[in-house]
Amino acid sequence: MSIQNVLRYPHPLLKKVSHQVEVVDSAIQNLIIDLLDTMRAGPGSVGIAAPQIGVTLRVCVVDVSANRHGKENNHGQLCMINPEIINRSGNAIMREGCMSVPDYTGDVERATEISVRYSDSEGVEHEIATSGFEAVAIQHEIDHLDGILFLDRVVSLKTGLFRRKNYS
Amino acid sequence: MTTTPETLHYAVSLVGKDRTGIVAGVTSVLFRLGCNIADSSCTMLAGEFAMILIVSHPRPFSKSRLSEELKPVCDQLGMSVGVRTLHLDEVVRQETKDEICMISVYGADQPGIVYKVTSELAELGVNITDLNTKLIGTPDEPVYVMMLEAALPEGQTPEKLESLLGDLKQKLNVEIGVRVITPVAL
Repeated sequence: MSIQNVLRYPHPLLKKVSHQVEVVDSAIQNLIIDLLDTMRAGPGSVGIAAPQIGVTLRVCVVDVSANRHGKENNHGQLCMINPEIINRSGNAIMREGCMSVPDYTGDVERATEISVRYSDSEGVEHEIATSGFEAVAIQHEIDHLDGILFLDRVVSLKTGLFRRKNYS
Repeated sequence: MTTTPETLHYAVSLVGKDRTGIVAGVTSVLFRLGCNIADSSCTMLAGEFAMILIVSHPRPFSKSRLSEELKPVCDQLGMSVGVRTLHLDEVVRQETKDEICMISVYGADQPGIVYKVTSELAELGVNITDLNTKLIGTPDEPVYVMMLEAALPEGQTPEKLESLLGDLKQKLNVEIGVRVITPVAL
């Protein structure tokens, strides 16, 4: 298994809805290893989704434990098959960037607390509640599985404050 | 951005009373000329619409040609226009490893807020990448709001910067806050 090439927009696969994984077999486990290797190779990357390496299956990995925003509050390395957000609350804006959309960043609004159901690399189902940066990263990666890029969610390029005409 | 010696780059700035069709009018000229718009920022300031565009065109082309072609549509739209030729070494993609901060400054309006804050920042080696100001409040109680995005020099932290700006904050009697907005790589 190895570091894979990260697809960049406008690669068409990045806008496709990925397929459910039916069986967790060695091919899926190898895909997870590729995802982990590729994520670790990306400078500062805290997550990657299968379509970013050209596989349209609902698999992603997230690990924010080494990131300053996530090191206090995380579940370590998460390998998620068929992840599904079953609960979300709160919202906060964070400036995001993405390996598949280099040289661009934008402010994106995400839920601050989420519950996610997924299967791990052994096919065992989990349900976790998470918040903060890890929750943001998971939402960003699950978006990839639905063909959604952060560009689709940008709320303001710069300061949103000045876009309003009046404050009354 | 294409940065080959065969490509010429210009910085184009236009300002005029806001109305519908300004962007379409200006860009129709650029399109007809075969110009590319690379980076651009356009915004409404009070009732004025301001456009700043980095425009490129393959050789042969000239600044005078660009200015001449823009003039009729700008006259018609009531826009002032300025064109500056960029040298190849000026046309670089700005990539930074620096910490990016949002610096918010607000308080009772008074002369010199922008000047005094930005002088201090310049002295501290802080590089402003984006700056917006707006006069809000009421005529009796005007409030000035300034939002700056800036890259901190190596070794500088938002906390340190905020405390370094503490004196100025007291002197001007304004609020000054510094927070990290460095994008997260996902």
